[in-house]
Amino acid sequence: MALLSDSSISMNIFMNIQKILILLLCIFTSSMAFAQDGYELFGRLYNAENEEPIEAATIIFEDFGTLSDSDGNFLITCSSKGLHHIKISHVSFVDTSISIVFDEGMKSLNIALRPYSQVIAEVQVTGKTNARLDRESTSISELVSEEFLAQNRENTLMQTLKKLPGVSSINIGAGQSKPVIRGLGFNRVAVVQNGIKHEAQEWGNDHGLEIDQFGIENIQIIKGPASLLYGSDAIAGVVDILPPEIPQPKTTNGEINLVGDTNNDLLGISAGIQSRKDKWYYRGRLTYRDYGDYKVPTDRISYENYIFDLHDNNLRNTAGREANANFSIGYVNNNIKSETFVSNVNGKNGFFANAHGLEVRTSSIDYDASNRDIDLPFHSVNHFKLSNTTTIVSGRHLFSFDLGYQLNHREEHSEPTAHGYMPKPSNTQERIYDKSSISLNASDAFVYNSRHRITTGVNLDYQNNSIGGWGFLIPAYQSFGLGLFAFDEFEIQEDLHFLAGIRYDYGVMDSKSYYDWYPSPEYDEEGNQIDVYQQRASDGSLHFGNISASTGLSYIRNNNNFKINIGKSFRMPLAKELVSNGLNYHMFRFEMGNQDLDAEESYQIDVEVEHRRGNFTVSLSPFVNYFTNYIYLNPTSRYNENLQIYEYTQAEVFRWGGEISAELNLSSKWQIQGSGEYVFSRQQSGPKKGFTLPFSPPVSALFSTVYHLKDFAIFKNSKLITDFRITGAQENIVPPEEITEGYSVWHFSWVADWAIIKDAQPWEIRLKVNNLFDVQYFDHSSFYRLIDVPEPGRNISLSLTFPF
Amino acid sequence: MKFLNLFWLLSFLLFSISCSKDESITKDEEKPTITINYSDGFPKACAELSRGQSYNFKAMVSDNEALASYSLDIHHNFDQHTHDDQGEECELYPKKSSVNPLIFLENYTIEGGTRNYEININVNIPDDIDVGDYHCSYSVTDETGWQSRTSIDIKIVE
Repeated sequence: MALLSDSSISMNIFMNIQKILILLLCIFTSSMAFAQDGYELFGRLYNAENEEPIEAATIIFEDFGTLSDSDGNFLITCSSKGLHHIKISHVSFVDTSISIVFDEGMKSLNIALRPYSQVIAEVQVTGKTNARLDRESTSISELVSEEFLAQNRENTLMQTLKKLPGVSSINIGAGQSKPVIRGLGFNRVAVVQNGIKHEAQEWGNDHGLEIDQFGIENIQIIKGPASLLYGSDAIAGVVDILPPEIPQPKTTNGEINLVGDTNNDLLGISAGIQSRKDKWYYRGRLTYRDYGDYKVPTDRISYENYIFDLHDNNLRNTAGREANANFSIGYVNNNIKSETFVSNVNGKNGFFANAHGLEVRTSSIDYDASNRDIDLPFHSVNHFKLSNTTTIVSGRHLFSFDLGYQLNHREEHSEPTAHGYMPKPSNTQERIYDKSSISLNASDAFVYNSRHRITTGVNLDYQNNSIGGWGFLIPAYQSFGLGLFAFDEFEIQEDLHFLAGIRYDYGVMDSKSYYDWYPSPEYDEEGNQIDVYQQRASDGSLHFGNISASTGLSYIRNNNNFKINIGKSFRMPLAKELVSNGLNYHMFRFEMGNQDLDAEESYQIDVEVEHRRGNFTVSLSPFVNYFTNYIYLNPTSRYNENLQIYEYTQAEVFRWGGEISAELNLSSKWQIQGSGEYVFSRQQSGPKKGFTLPFSPPVSALFSTVYHLKDFAIFKNSKLITDFRITGAQENIVPPEEITEGYSVWHFSWVADWAIIKDAQPWEIRLKVNNLFDVQYFDHSSFYRLIDVPEPGRNISLSLTFPF
Repeated sequence: MKFLNLFWLLSFLLFSISCSKDESITKDEEKPTITINYSDGFPKACAELSRGQSYNFKAMVSDNEALASYSLDIHHNFDQHTHDDQGEECELYPKKSSVNPLIFLENYTIEGGTRNYEININVNIPDDIDVGDYHCSYSVTDETGWQSRTSIDIKIVE
């Protein structure tokens, strides 16, 4: 799946091979001695980068081979005068051929070999820059750099990325969030890390993304359907976390990050290290974060007719912690790049105690005893990931392979209590989900000629989902998916690029039946009461096939950049959408699947125009989108026992919207940025015709100023950043949502390099104040919005990075 | 240059599309209402119900368009897991565990798309059920799928 990201490298390597051939060797002096049995050539090999001698290089001369000694010296003998060829090879250096005229009076030969690393570094300089490739690429995407991430880091990765126009998040308290692109989230956004799609319980609305945000260097966010490359789930877009850059050879470096927040008393530490010899490199990182309940700018929360008083503004029991570890080992030479990653993310988070989901609860637990303890209800999650991503350049082909294994284990615990006909369970383990998945992506990008690059590939994935606990929501299921795709990138002119591709997907899902573990009374024909273990899910096997396609054009003209894409994307329905049939006590509703659902299909046209002139950049990216069958959970007017039935339904949906952003460098000191985003959606058919979609984000704009301060004392390169977000009211709602008022909120931060030790890398310091005026506001797409919980109040955060 | 103009035009067109033709389908944006706060409303907060008796549970529901269904749920609150929304604190009995609690879970439809309706459900309190704190909750939906709920803490006594 890392095709787009690797395309630059592949192109560059092709260019590079030519460069290697014409690589000029530095021949300072030459001399040759005539011996009795022929002409002798004495040579010395050294590293072009640091002039160190090269040992154990193979020198092939006609049929004769020799090795260089520890001083880089070698000697070859030739029986005849004239032109001869010598080939020199070494694992760490570029293969080199030289032609030499053997003659009397030759002296010695000094030969410089170029290490691969230098070649790769040079490729990146002489090849197309990422910015240029981004302009040429037809996809409408945002490239997020490490610098952006460091400068804007919030509590969670998605809260950090929220600053980008068109990207928002569904937050579950202060410590967890899920991605939303142009108003669509959950399983409609594919999150890809190191080429492998992140496979967790994306559908759930009460937990976040199990990814460590430290150590991430580059992210590509594709706004718009990307099924062609990423398959099902990329119907609204992709958050593609790219593998970090390969470290420079013979380097070891790392950093320690410390962060502290006042709002939820967060303490976080992360330490990362990376090292490379010549071809082998490794990296590792450990992160730990621990936080207390977050504070909201209110003393009481009123939900329906209930009132909850808050102790010290603490949203009780929203504390959490997270411990992550990851390690990778990689190998690179001039035509193979391979890295194997292993990571584990472990987290535990409490849920607001008074109203979990929609249900109001009281408890004898003393939640206010400490703001750091995690009492019931809470959830814990462990995500293990093992993956390998390999690219091989062979002739005109670039082969890419991504292989991944993931194990996601999530538990939800709550105080056991009798409910309906269910007696009081004996333990707190309400739900357990285990998902193990294996994915394989293989592709070949073939440079057909200087104009065409044709990529073909296959994606395979298998997953096994099992369930446990006394609460039932989705059945256990297994699924298998196969995707085949082909696309052509066509450079019509240097400034005009075209992409067209087609994809076929086949999916199978087998779900297992589920029966209640307790009986419910029912009455037979004669009116006698019988106890029945109700069936909540039936055995089912569903097959899906889908063809998707997309085409795009990019055009660069002077200061303008234009892109247009037309595509069809799809999403396989989830098990819960098809076969769920259970009481969701969290949300206090009865959820019913629908086996008649089709694979969701979406058609979209999107356009991006960008204009740069000197110190000014403006871009506009509108889209129009039509779903033939958008699948959502529709609240019906019916009941099951005493719970309202929500049924998965599909409806035609029309959406349009877009983003606008502008950046102006007023002077070398002042920069102003502004961006706005808007999405309109309407259901065109079905029971909620005329209504919008759930969790529709309201119109929102973000204005930022960056002011570069003079260096003072030991602080260098310091910047003051002010962010002002203004969000309109969301009055376009669908049951059971409530209208959310608009708000405006200020954030402020100061970042600087702290040159405390002379000649060492400066420490980086960042002081940030979120919600400067402690405004009480509601986020329409926040999980706690449903129970009228405002967003976090003022937070002062200090973070320090110590590079070494 | 014409090509460029076309692009700008197209993008602005996309932006302004359907902005102009918001044919505003009339949507039902109102929830139904439910209350027991009228003279016949039953049970009132902290009411004591006797075993062996039968009671008519009454609540008034209304909607701006059309009511659809309602439900009544009576379950024990021996572990004090929840409380009502009547704004009145009932003194609860000590916590205990259940042996044979009353469970009443029923739902009904309201035919004819009426806007005002009085819920009236006859409930028998059997002789052999556990006495103690109970929780009673009504809910009602309209045809659009909006729901309203109200709940009352009651006691079942000998």
